[in-house]
Amino acid sequence: MFILSLMVFFLVLIIITGIAALEIQDLLGAVIAFSAFSFLAVVLYLILGSPDVAFTEAAIGVVSAIFFIFAIKKLDRWCE
Amino acid sequence: MKSKKDSVIVRTAFRYAIPLIFIYSIYVFTHGEYSPGGGFQSGGFLAMVVVLSRLVEGDQAKVNMTGDQAFILSGLGAFLFAFAGWLAIFFGGKFLEYDAWIPFDISMRSKHEWGILVIEIGVTVCVMATIIVIYDAITRKGEDND
Repeated sequence: MFILSLMVFFLVLIIITGIAALEIQDLLGAVIAFSAFSFLAVVLYLILGSPDVAFTEAAIGVVSAIFFIFAIKKLDRWCE
Repeated sequence: MKSKKDSVIVRTAFRYAIPLIFIYSIYVFTHGEYSPGGGFQSGGFLAMVVVLSRLVEGDQAKVNMTGDQAFILSGLGAFLFAFAGWLAIFFGGKFLEYDAWIPFDISMRSKHEWGILVIEIGVTVCVMATIIVIYDAITRKGEDND
């Protein structure tokens, strides 16, 4: 029961951060929301008992965040 | 990327973090069959070392490779993976059937472990070089934009 409530808690947070990453007009804020989404996904994978997938997500989430930030340097920070 | 500001804190943290990331990457790679991890994650961490070096030290990056070298390395890694499979076909087995081409007199389980080690080296090199190629393509000083 404790595990289930923990899973529901992280799932709700994942949905909130996912919608935030799509809807925020500031692209840097969107990247940060996406990083939070990635980290919460790591925690959820660990709760579900697949450390291998969680490890991969943790390694690739950092790399993709760096890529997005460097892509923003070539674009406008705000999207209309 | 040219760094405009020079920070002592970032440089010192970088200097202490680099050996730890290297050792952790090799640990993840060699213990891939007992614990979470493997070639993909190890390659990601190795690429993180190069990306961090380029981020922190800018143009004077010590741990560095150019985009062209990384491009060649990614092809070599993929070739190593495929070559371990083709070698088994040349020795009369199926694709990626390791016990066909490993000549030592060891058990089949050990042969599988050594064969998987060879293809994991290929995966590691390919993933590391591909991430560096993508990073280089993003941060390249282009002739059309900038």
